[in-house]
Amino acid sequence: MEPILKLRNLKVVFPTNYGVIRAVESVDLDIGDRECVALVGESGCGKSVTSQSVMRLIESPPALTQVDAIEFNGRDIKDYTPKQMQELRGKEMSMIFQDAMTSLNPVMTVGNQIDEMYMRHQGDSKKEAREKTVKALELIGLPEPRTRANSFPHQLSGGMRQRVLLAMAFACMPKLIIADEPTTALDVTIQAQVLKTLRGMQRGCGTSLLLVTHDLSVVASIADTVYVMYSGKIVEKAPVKDLFNSPQHPYTVGLMAAVPRLTDKKKTFTQIPGTVPHPARKPSGCYFHPRCEYATDKCRKEMPPLMGQGGGREVRCYYPLTAGGNM
Amino acid sequence: MKYTYVIKRILYSLFVFAVVITLNFFIPRIGVDDPAERYYPPQGNMSEIEYEIIKQVTRQQYGFHVSTGQQYMNYLKGLFQGDLGTSFRPGSPAVIDLILERLPWTLVLSVSTMLIGVTIGILFGVLAAVKRGRWQDTMLLNASTIMVALPAFFIALILSFYLGFELEIFPAYTDSTMVSGFTWTWEGIRRVAQNAALPVLSMVVGSIISYAQGTRNAVIAVTNEDFVLTARAKGLKQSTIRYKHILRNSMLPIVTSLGMSISGLIGGQVVIEQVFNWNGMGTLFLEANNSNDYPLMMGIMLLLSGFTIFAILVTDLVYVLLDPRVTVGDKR
Ligand SMILES: Nc1ncnc2c1ncn2[C@@H]1O[C@H](COP(=O)(O)OP(=O)(O)OP(=O)(O)O)[C@@H](O)[C@H]1O
Ligand SMILES: [Mg+2]
Repeated sequence: MEPILKLRNLKVVFPTNYGVIRAVESVDLDIGDRECVALVGESGCGKSVTSQSVMRLIESPPALTQVDAIEFNGRDIKDYTPKQMQELRGKEMSMIFQDAMTSLNPVMTVGNQIDEMYMRHQGDSKKEAREKTVKALELIGLPEPRTRANSFPHQLSGGMRQRVLLAMAFACMPKLIIADEPTTALDVTIQAQVLKTLRGMQRGCGTSLLLVTHDLSVVASIADTVYVMYSGKIVEKAPVKDLFNSPQHPYTVGLMAAVPRLTDKKKTFTQIPGTVPHPARKPSGCYFHPRCEYATDKCRKEMPPLMGQGGGREVRCYYPLTAGGNM
Repeated sequence: MKYTYVIKRILYSLFVFAVVITLNFFIPRIGVDDPAERYYPPQGNMSEIEYEIIKQVTRQQYGFHVSTGQQYMNYLKGLFQGDLGTSFRPGSPAVIDLILERLPWTLVLSVSTMLIGVTIGILFGVLAAVKRGRWQDTMLLNASTIMVALPAFFIALILSFYLGFELEIFPAYTDSTMVSGFTWTWEGIRRVAQNAALPVLSMVVGSIISYAQGTRNAVIAVTNEDFVLTARAKGLKQSTIRYKHILRNSMLPIVTSLGMSISGLIGGQVVIEQVFNWNGMGTLFLEANNSNDYPLMMGIMLLLSGFTIFAILVTDLVYVLLDPRVTVGDKR
């Protein structure tokens, strides 16, 4: 697969009053053409910061961002000027956010907000843009798109608002779409519909997708490759089937055990003991060691590197688990 | 939906105004059997009979000789014809005439202060928000801190002393012929401007700073909202984001504070008018108060409350234009 995005050694630091927060530490990320990559992890592990850094949306200052390369569609955009970035954003890579209610401007009609995309990136007149907007809304499955385009965000249902965000993100047929928890704010039935639409659009438009989520059932249903993040670092990377069949990092195992399964007769699910370390006070060695039942002295002292396991798998653990159990 | 809301707001304002009118009618009648006693309190050196005669005359003159219900009807009828009653002043001038004579002079000060304050304040506030944390912003922060400790009348005294008495740049004291000798000529207008300079200057500094601070905070609050990140992710130009997305939303709280200050346009500068001997509404009210001129006080109160209700109504209606969410009742 021809890669669309190659992110190398991304580091993002937030200086705050209560210490320096290393939100993202040396993250590498590869997204292939038309691939759907999922980024999963508990709240606060740095998923949003990573995904926004790809579009260079994290404002530095106040943040300090360092990156070796952001290779996008064959060009390194890490040194692009703000103007160049503006041209790129929305047109070649775009973003879908979690809460469509707050992510849409409350005093502008949704139609006008989508029109902006065509007017900005395709040089359309207001009228041409509106025609395209109506088509886009229709494609995304919004009933009565022409009248709905004149609605304000608060006049639409949650599912419809999220569809508006989808239509906006796909407006200019970008190469890459980053969806940051696109369905978390919706109830389960609507979630499934919106995900289906997202997947359908992604396939239809030939777009690559970076899906940020902490919902493993979403990952299982649409991702090709999964990156698991913990406390600012990637701890495991694997094709989706392999990850679900044989998770190798104890944290991944814990994450999966924490998902209640309907097929599970006992209907119990276990929690990973302990909590995520405070981002300004991370432990020594492997960040996961205080919560890991297999931790040894080595784990407490040294951060394990990300180690290739073959078959496109990588894991940051000295004692990766195999299908049979811990070695 | 929008129109029903607008009509509802207008009806509601009328209702509140009706309540205010009624209160205004009853306040002088509360706690006394005879409103004539309120209007003409007994004085020490007066015999019973003398006082009875005086009260008799007062009742006749102010229409207290009919039943309270009838008085109320007469009062309402008068209001509809623009009659706010008669003042106690010699010659029994109509309250409405006294007010109309002073109102323009107060508006000269308050409206110019507000216009200057709003325009410069908003511009400066936006600048401070854009240059957040840099010297422009720090300057505003320091200025607002200082302003907290400097009331307008204090500035007024200082300006009056230095620019008025010492340097004689502007009149320290309003020239009493400014009003009586006013004509609609350049010369007349120039004289008003000259006399208004110091009073306006002493109020405008605080006005600019408070609008600037309010605008800055509103703009920064909106800048941190999710939809601004969306706008950036869409690749919109900085200027589009700023004017189409941020400023429009920041205007909402600013309109509210604007509405508040509109209601202060008439009665908000009693002290400044005193310092500069400016013959406006504030001075009129003090005069009425000092001479126990009940009808005049009530007339001014009615005007002030009516104007406040009007200002709030206008604010709400402007909000309807700016914020589509208002009509469903989930105003932020
Ligand atoms: N502007 C900021 N200033 C200071 N710290 C920040 C800022 N933005 C993010 N952080 C910190 O960076 C860390 C990672 O945040 P991020 O939003 O990426 O987490 P996340 O994985 O997306 O979590 P969630 O699932 O809750 O969205 C958090 O500890 C957060 O407190
Ligand atoms: Mg997040």
